[in-house]
Amino acid sequence: MTANSNDTSQLRPGLWDTINERYPGVMITKDDFIPLAHLKKPLDQVRLAFISSAGVQPKGTMPFDVVHPVGDYSFRRVPTGAKVNDLEIHQIKYPTNGAARDLNVIFPIERLQELAAEGAIDALTPNFFSFIGYQMDPPTFERTLAEDIASAVIADGADAALLCPA
Amino acid sequence: MSLQYLKDAVANNETDKLIRYVRLHLGDGNETAGRNEIDKAWIEALKLLLDVPTTDRAFIFKTLSEQDTATLAHLFFHLHFYFVQRSGEWIHDGQL
Repeated sequence: MTANSNDTSQLRPGLWDTINERYPGVMITKDDFIPLAHLKKPLDQVRLAFISSAGVQPKGTMPFDVVHPVGDYSFRRVPTGAKVNDLEIHQIKYPTNGAARDLNVIFPIERLQELAAEGAIDALTPNFFSFIGYQMDPPTFERTLAEDIASAVIADGADAALLCPA
Repeated sequence: MSLQYLKDAVANNETDKLIRYVRLHLGDGNETAGRNEIDKAWIEALKLLLDVPTTDRAFIFKTLSEQDTATLAHLFFHLHFYFVQRSGEWIHDGQL
C-alpha cells in the first residue's frame, strides 16, 4: 500500500477529496500497511517482474473490459520477450497518445529487456503482468486481482517486482 | 463510487446517486460530459433507423429471450460505447 510503513502522508492531500467527491467510497484507507521488503541480493542477481495498470496486453487476447461499470478484475500475462508491436492497450481512462507512439513511456518493456541484456539485473521473469485501473470494488481488487498477480509473480520466480501505475 | 455505495443506493432506491454514477462513468468523471455521451449514443442509434432499414429482429428477440440479463446489461454498456465511437466524437483518452 505504501513504500514506508512510517509514512502515511499523501503527496497531494486534496486529490483523495476530489476523487471521493466524484467516486464516493472508492478510495480506501488502510491502517495495516505492509512494510517495504528489502532486497536480499545485489540488483545484478535479481530476477525482476514488472506489474502495470496500463491495460497493456498481447494482441489477440481478450480485451480488458473497459466498459464495465464496476471494473475488470482480470490480468494479462505479457511475455517479457514480446516485441512492442505484439502488444496493444485497451483502456479509456488515461491518455494513451504518448504510449501509442512509444509504448515504453508507460510500459518500459524494451528498457527492461536492455537492463537484463546489459547485466544490470540478472534476468526478467518469463512474464510481466498487466491490468486496468478504475475498479469500483477495492476489497475485491485486493482479494482477487492483487492476490492473483502476487501469486503469479511468485510462480514466475521473481526476486523483486517493479510496480507502475498508469 | 464504491460497489457498496452503489448497492446501498439501490437498496434505498436513491436513483439520483445511481444515474450520477452512470454519467460519471460514461463521462470519465465529468457528470455533464456523461449526460452528453448518453445523448450522443441515442442520437447515433436513432440516425441509423431513420431510413427504416431491414434489421435482424429474429436475432434481437433470440438474444433477448436466451441470454441472461447480466450479459444483456453488459451488452447495453458495450452498445453505448459502440455508438459513441461510431459517432466519431470520441472524448475518451484511449481505446476500447
